[in-house]
Amino acid sequence: MTPNGWLQIAVFFALLLLAAKPMGLYMARVYERKKTWLDPVLGPVERLLYCITGVNPDAEMRWTEYGAAMLVFSCATLLLTYALERLQHAIPLWNPQHLAAVEPYLAWNTAASFTTNTNWQSYVPETTMSYLTQMAGLATHNFWSAATGMALAIAFIRGIARRESKTLGNFWVDLTRGTLWVLLPICVVYALALVSQGVVQNLKPYDTATLVEPQTVTAPGADGKPVTTRVTTQTIAQGPTASQEAIKMLGTNGGGFFNANSAHPFENPTPLSNMLQMLSIFLIPAGLCVTLGKMVGSPGHGWAVFAAMSVLWFAGVATCYWAESQPNPLLHGVDQRTSLGGVSPGGNMEGKEVRFGIANSALFATVTTDASCGAVNSMHDSFMPLGGMVPLANIMMGEIVFGGVGAGMYGMLIFVVLSVFIAGLMVGRTPEYLGKKVQAYEVQLSMLYVLIFPLIILGFAAVSVLLPAGLAGISNHGPHGLSQVLYAYTSAAGNNGSAFAGINANTHWYNSTMGIAMLSGRFLMIVPMLAVAGSLATKKIVPPSLGTFPVNSPLFTVLLVSVILIVGALTFFPALSLGPILEHLLLRSGISFS
Amino acid sequence: MSDLVFLAASLAFFFVAVLYVYGCQSLKGGRDDA
Repeated sequence: MTPNGWLQIAVFFALLLLAAKPMGLYMARVYERKKTWLDPVLGPVERLLYCITGVNPDAEMRWTEYGAAMLVFSCATLLLTYALERLQHAIPLWNPQHLAAVEPYLAWNTAASFTTNTNWQSYVPETTMSYLTQMAGLATHNFWSAATGMALAIAFIRGIARRESKTLGNFWVDLTRGTLWVLLPICVVYALALVSQGVVQNLKPYDTATLVEPQTVTAPGADGKPVTTRVTTQTIAQGPTASQEAIKMLGTNGGGFFNANSAHPFENPTPLSNMLQMLSIFLIPAGLCVTLGKMVGSPGHGWAVFAAMSVLWFAGVATCYWAESQPNPLLHGVDQRTSLGGVSPGGNMEGKEVRFGIANSALFATVTTDASCGAVNSMHDSFMPLGGMVPLANIMMGEIVFGGVGAGMYGMLIFVVLSVFIAGLMVGRTPEYLGKKVQAYEVQLSMLYVLIFPLIILGFAAVSVLLPAGLAGISNHGPHGLSQVLYAYTSAAGNNGSAFAGINANTHWYNSTMGIAMLSGRFLMIVPMLAVAGSLATKKIVPPSLGTFPVNSPLFTVLLVSVILIVGALTFFPALSLGPILEHLLLRSGISFS
Repeated sequence: MSDLVFLAASLAFFFVAVLYVYGCQSLKGGRDDA
């Protein structure tokens, strides 16, 4: 670890802190339908959209209607994307490489993936998806799924803020305003900033470059026998990258335009673009803490939640940075590049870009998995065991450390409800959250929300390590192989989308089961969350008394962090101990697995 | 054939999810927590 590395991490957090308040206050105005400076431009567009679709923007929805509208919308857009992938070869538009139709299992997995804001990619984008599919199928989903998450978080906040109300807002209005007022304007400016850094934006066919040093490559042929070929040219993929990159990060989607994601120089060329990308992942989730405080009339509560997220973020990045700064014990003393000194950053540089180094790789990995982004600028599979455990544990905690746009906030609010409930049990009073009594129904559904998540992850992972179809995708034996499978289903259920890239998930087994895991991890958790919000909205506000647990105090922050850690640790510690923790201990003893 | 299977699977999932919405609602029953 170096002072320079820590300074960059500190600068990142300082910029986030500066951006959170204006972003949060702006979002509060957008969702409360108050005036903003973009109204003259976007107001007519909004009205036109409601006119075309027949939406009455003043009609309020009960939580059941809100949830049903969200499900119908998600189902329709999933099927649309699936159809586009399957038909891309037949559409004579923006397919200069004449890419074939996407295979059904992969097409469904991808459609489920982008609908759920996961953006898990079992495919190589530049050789699988046409420009039309990337833009009309995938980038649009990046907007829709992000705006859906934000709408749901706002619905939950309204549930806390409203008194004796049967409704939570209008899903179509929240979806439209989130897209038009928040995501689109930022993405236009952000995409141009990325272009200024060298991110490509075109519709050209791929370029071909002649290699300065031709390569001789030996690979198995169709008959399984080795075939040696001399490679003299390289295909350089192009495409409308910057426009997709902007929403990919801002919407915590994470699906790369290129296979190497944000490690690719056309997606993330400079340290500045890297810093912008990390900041944009946390921008909306951090802002939503301020939005929460503003809309419920308790700014201190929003900052208390922000503080809890910050503590967990710092614990993650410090652990990951420390772990990756340690040399691999099997290489230490053998390869001098593992030692800090001269131009060597020391530590574990496998799978990392030199232009980002260890600090920015550890920070990116932490940020992308604290949120439900899943973009990567380094390969998590190549991290040291404990370094790789940090992204895995971040997702296992439910991605509530700032979290996905909207999803992080509503996930965190479920933990807030549980924390308040536990605090109430401690003092023997009916728990209250901002003046609302938390009763059996809210706690039951909050526990349903919390329990569905590990059920999906551990269930699918357990079956996969027992079946030949599951074992076939693993590229390493021993605990690292278990970590690959565990990470895949954790990433799918958590709607993260990053991977321990050593696993080959483009198989019928993984494409279909991970599709189910993604859909279940998104929608089967949203429904009980909305039910809690709907129930809270109907309640009266009880005036605070001496026994009321304040939710804007440092004590509340400590309790919230403790509940999150205890729930996460109790649920997933056994699986982690058989994966990354065991791998760490064996590596220290000189044992590794191929 | 695969296309039809995935179409049916998607529709089935979302149909169950809508039922799940009303299942969660029914859990509340006649309780008046307010």
